[in-house]
Amino acid sequence: MRTRVRAGDPSAFAELFDSYANAVYNHAFRLTADWSVAEDVMAAAFLEAWRLRERVDPEGGSLRPWLLGIATNTARNQYRSNRRYRAAVDAAAAAELSVPDHADEVADRIDGRHRLATALTALARLRRPEREVVTLCLGEGLDYEAAAKALGIPVGTVASRLSRARRKLRDLTGTPPADGAPPKKVRGHREGTGLPRQTRGDHTHVIRPAQEGKR
Amino acid sequence: MTANTSRNRPAEEDGSAELLSGTARDLPPGRHQFHKERLMAQIHDLQQAEHTAAAPMRERRRRLLRPAIALPLTAVALAAAVVVGLTRSDDGNGVRDYSPALTTTIGAASSKGVPQLLDQISLAAARSSSSRPDVEPGQYIYIKSESADSYVSNTDSGTSLAGHPLHTRQTWMSPDGTKGWLIDPAVNKSPEGETLSLPDEQGNTPKPSLNGPSYDYLTKLTTDPDKLLAKIYAETKGQGNSPDQEAFSTIGDLLVESYPPAELYPALFKAAEKIPGVVVVDDATDAAGRHGVAVARLDETSGERDEWIFDSKSHVFLGVRTVQVRKDSEDGALIPPGTILFTNAILERTVVDGIRQTPSAKS
Repeated sequence: MRTRVRAGDPSAFAELFDSYANAVYNHAFRLTADWSVAEDVMAAAFLEAWRLRERVDPEGGSLRPWLLGIATNTARNQYRSNRRYRAAVDAAAAAELSVPDHADEVADRIDGRHRLATALTALARLRRPEREVVTLCLGEGLDYEAAAKALGIPVGTVASRLSRARRKLRDLTGTPPADGAPPKKVRGHREGTGLPRQTRGDHTHVIRPAQEGKR
Repeated sequence: MTANTSRNRPAEEDGSAELLSGTARDLPPGRHQFHKERLMAQIHDLQQAEHTAAAPMRERRRRLLRPAIALPLTAVALAAAVVVGLTRSDDGNGVRDYSPALTTTIGAASSKGVPQLLDQISLAAARSSSSRPDVEPGQYIYIKSESADSYVSNTDSGTSLAGHPLHTRQTWMSPDGTKGWLIDPAVNKSPEGETLSLPDEQGNTPKPSLNGPSYDYLTKLTTDPDKLLAKIYAETKGQGNSPDQEAFSTIGDLLVESYPPAELYPALFKAAEKIPGVVVVDDATDAAGRHGVAVARLDETSGERDEWIFDSKSHVFLGVRTVQVRKDSEDGALIPPGTILFTNAILERTVVDGIRQTPSAKS
């Protein structure tokens, strides 16, 4: 896959899009607090990925962290100031919460809207660099190394930003540290260490590596 | 699910991840497709801008053996322009330098005698396939072939003709297409090869289709040549450089790395007979060096000719190849007429009882 991406095989980008559009979209939302801006950021990030394709490391696992990194930069360009982010969060939270809770509305949905508003409000209290680490590691389940690579910063910086952010989040939301209850699975898969298969990449050629089986 | 406190799993260290669990949702209906199509169109435009070739970008069909794991064909525009014979070993994936490129003499084509030849081929196919065993669940279709290809490689340092020299390729595929194994040095240099089992690395389990059929899928296809051809045209609509060429190539793919059921096999040739533009080529050599006669069709857009090669006496299928027969407007300097773009000869096609078991090892 990496080889095909580097070679500019459009079908590789079609596959990337199918696999990761939702992940990039959700990540972009957490960074912009606006679903429609998130959609724009997602679309722009994939186009940017095409432009940056030759910078992809030929070796490595899934390209999801790379795409999330690009989306982070794209979102950053949209939302340079934290003030704007807070304004977006306020608007989004207000929109979620302003809908009156209908008696016939399922409790899950009401709960979901409240959780969304709470999450955004909490994210808004973080500094942008902290928020980026939080959304990558906690939102999309990247490990420290993958997040560091995606953001182009040292692993230690990721760890320290994350722990600071965590402290703030706990203080803000009163969420006690894990108390025996198993943590809920975050939506989207966590990035494990790259499977050896994934590093194997494909060919650059048109004669498509269908035979390669697992891509 | 236990809390994993490993440093590498930041999301599981405490409850803060849960905070974000309500912030995920899928793209609104239709938006995924919308953005995907827009992205593909933008990429296409950017490619055109990058390669300011005067000629409009054409689609080059991926010539390939597509087992069930293959994704459906999507338009692949080959972005390229190039320099002959020099190849680079730059993708670390079995591409070797080879020079000169594979070439052949171009056989003479004639539209005369096409139905007669295909009738004979169809009869031979019926004879050979009726003695073939069916594939039972738990068994595997084993196919051993000899293969090579050439293509234009586009890298930072320019474009060149690259390819894979002749090599042996072996595949095992379960009849339902979900389990498989591949040994092919052009794909994976490890002598052990690699799995073709589903789901693939992206977690996808592609449904068997005409472009990626399983044996079970083929057994369910109609064996009425007219209906079969209509289905092929319908399901490949919009793909390839022309509907006729795409239909021909699709049938061609079904002949190579698959195990067509007894009733279907002759029907494939009967269907091919009805495709306009099919010709007979008097002499063609397969990847194993066997001479034969070919049923072929020229892709008018690319100047490439797909040839299905048969033994000239027994009319048994030997293999396929794609030859550049007309000068290519874009890559003409790199791919002169006579270049073999893809060639694959079937050496063995049989049923074995276990994955990675070879027929000789069969008890």
